[in-house]
Amino acid sequence: MARQHPYLASGLALAMSFSLTACAGASDDNADGTTTLTFLSWVDEERFGPVVEAFEADHPEIDIEMTFTPPVNEYVQALQTQVLSGTAPDVFLIAAENKTNLIDGGHVVDLSGEDFVKNVEPFNLETYGRDGAYYGLSLASWAGGYVYNEDLLAEAGYDGVPETWDEFLRMCEKLKDAGITPFLEPADGIPFTMAAWLGAKTEGMDPTLDQQIFSGASSFEEEWTPLLEEYNRLFEDDVMTRDVVGLDGQMVLDEFTAGRLAVMPAGGWTVSSILEAAPEMSWSFAQIPGVDGREPYAAGAASPGYAINSASDQEHQEAAKVFLAWLASPEGTELIFEQTGDVTVTSDFEPQVDPHFEPLVDNIRSGRIYLPMIAWERSEDVLNVEAIAQLQRMVTGEITPRQMASALDAKLAAS
Amino acid sequence: MSAIVVSKAHDAATRPAKRRRSGGGWKQIAVNQAFLLPLGAAFVFLVVIPLGQTFYWSLTDFTGYDPDASFIGLANYASILKDPSMLAGLGFTLLYAVATTAVITVLAISLAVQLNKVFAGRNFVRSVWFFPAVPSMAILGLVWRYIFSPLESGVINSVLAKLGIAPVGWLSDDGLARFAVVVVGVWAATGWHAVLYTAYLQSIPEEYYEVAKIDGASPRQQFFGITLPLLTPAIVISTFLLMTGGLKVFDLPYALTGGGPGFATQTITQSIIIAGVSQGRSGMASALAVLFTIAVAALTFGQLRLTRALERRLS
Repeated sequence: MARQHPYLASGLALAMSFSLTACAGASDDNADGTTTLTFLSWVDEERFGPVVEAFEADHPEIDIEMTFTPPVNEYVQALQTQVLSGTAPDVFLIAAENKTNLIDGGHVVDLSGEDFVKNVEPFNLETYGRDGAYYGLSLASWAGGYVYNEDLLAEAGYDGVPETWDEFLRMCEKLKDAGITPFLEPADGIPFTMAAWLGAKTEGMDPTLDQQIFSGASSFEEEWTPLLEEYNRLFEDDVMTRDVVGLDGQMVLDEFTAGRLAVMPAGGWTVSSILEAAPEMSWSFAQIPGVDGREPYAAGAASPGYAINSASDQEHQEAAKVFLAWLASPEGTELIFEQTGDVTVTSDFEPQVDPHFEPLVDNIRSGRIYLPMIAWERSEDVLNVEAIAQLQRMVTGEITPRQMASALDAKLAAS
Repeated sequence: MSAIVVSKAHDAATRPAKRRRSGGGWKQIAVNQAFLLPLGAAFVFLVVIPLGQTFYWSLTDFTGYDPDASFIGLANYASILKDPSMLAGLGFTLLYAVATTAVITVLAISLAVQLNKVFAGRNFVRSVWFFPAVPSMAILGLVWRYIFSPLESGVINSVLAKLGIAPVGWLSDDGLARFAVVVVGVWAATGWHAVLYTAYLQSIPEEYYEVAKIDGASPRQQFFGITLPLLTPAIVISTFLLMTGGLKVFDLPYALTGGGPGFATQTITQSIIIAGVSQGRSGMASALAVLFTIAVAALTFGQLRLTRALERRLS
């Protein structure tokens, strides 16, 4: 046996470690004339695969290479790494968490001149736009309102959720007197109640509430404090326990489906859970009661938009536009609705949702929904994390509503 | 019988033979060293270079999306030191690391002594204690979230209700939430460290205890005179693992409390991940990581010095 050079093994090992780093996927035009388009989805292949297959059947000249990363943080991190290393896919999702960085960095293509955006609700396009440009094709929205147990409300003499906050608080007191837990809203996010009130408030403002705050013309303290004080009445009047700080949405849903809770905030994603866990229950959705004389409103936001990578070459960008145009077509939106359950917002297809959720569909399709984090102009997640922490401090009585709003001003100034 | 006598006897029995000088001269030494090259290269590429890059990015406004970031000096460091949430995170991280290290060490040694005794079903009992270390801390956090639920339907509160005690806001009170996170951390890791101590206990020769008994040593004297001194190498390893693991804890508090109420159970690692990933403030996250690395290095170095001194004193 020949004696091997002792350094060879070490050298080979080192060389192999380098060669492994060179393995990276890339899509090229194929010999048969088709174009391979890469797409990073956050909807899994089981649900979105049929959508892609239907597109490929309609457009045999384009082959979609779809990969999946779950939302939200994992997706944002994966995409961030790919963008930074120049390996981002041709089509990806622009979301509340990454829209500022993607737009500021010029990583996404402006879609405002494309025909396929014309049938999409402007609210959705503007969510992922700036200065008249649209950077994401958002085809659906979600909305959150109040879900109420009709049987429990009937025990207190009600057949639905009142339309004003004062009446709602009175109803809660009656429910409590009847030995029923009236309302639980987890404090693990900005409450839907606050989001809806802010949405109703900004609807009548020009410039909008957030434009005024972010331009310095107004402040969180000025705009948020009155609404936070109204929200704080839940705790001051002992209508809702301060222990909501330790709850999450699933715990509250469990209380509701067990018949121990009269009203909870929820979105369309809870419909199947309630139907499955409490098939005999009589329940329905309602908009969130209005405050300060405003109309009831809903929390909610435009779903992430499909964006085109500006670093892709012209041919791939054109192919990506064909893909997006197909997704926005009646055939595409119908399939998206069937596969994901997302309520789509294009004018030429009307999704048929579960009747329980019907009261919120108009809000979704007309864009009468609001979520602070996605409406903020910058530092979205910084402010969101701060808002949740300060809200919890307010709920536990550690700080006042005004102090909570001031903390957001301080965070905005520092970010 | 004194601990010193036992330890010297133990040292004599276990001290390795003096290493023979390897032959072959410089060529053999060079060959031996060459085998360290892959490891050295991996260390440089996986540790040294990323650390250097992290320090570089910490001096910039890097967002994580564009490499052409602007140099901003120590602004990120100044922001961190002025941010109350970051300081709160540092406070809870230290509390968690120190509290879990102390409590787990005491409990794990006690448990190991019991598990080292001969009794029916010993292996099964050891497995039961070890089991909490198997699932991920994130899953344990979600399960314990239901156990600690502040509602009357929460597991602990429903037991309290049967005893006529009002529901307790385990996760909605700052102090109780911190307590809950530490309790779950202790519960999850005690069994694993007890198994570590058990392995060391099994290496203590039975003769030491027999001699001690003949000398009239009580069980307490045997524990403090034989068991504890001979467990010091295990204590060094265990506390080192606990301290480093505690300082970089993320998944358990995040799943159990989300860092709340307020910033009560927020950890430094959580702040780094949120700033770097969700908020696109990679420069800020890098600065936090640099500060944290220095703090962890200082703490673990100090801890090692302390435990080594303790080891020398006991042995």
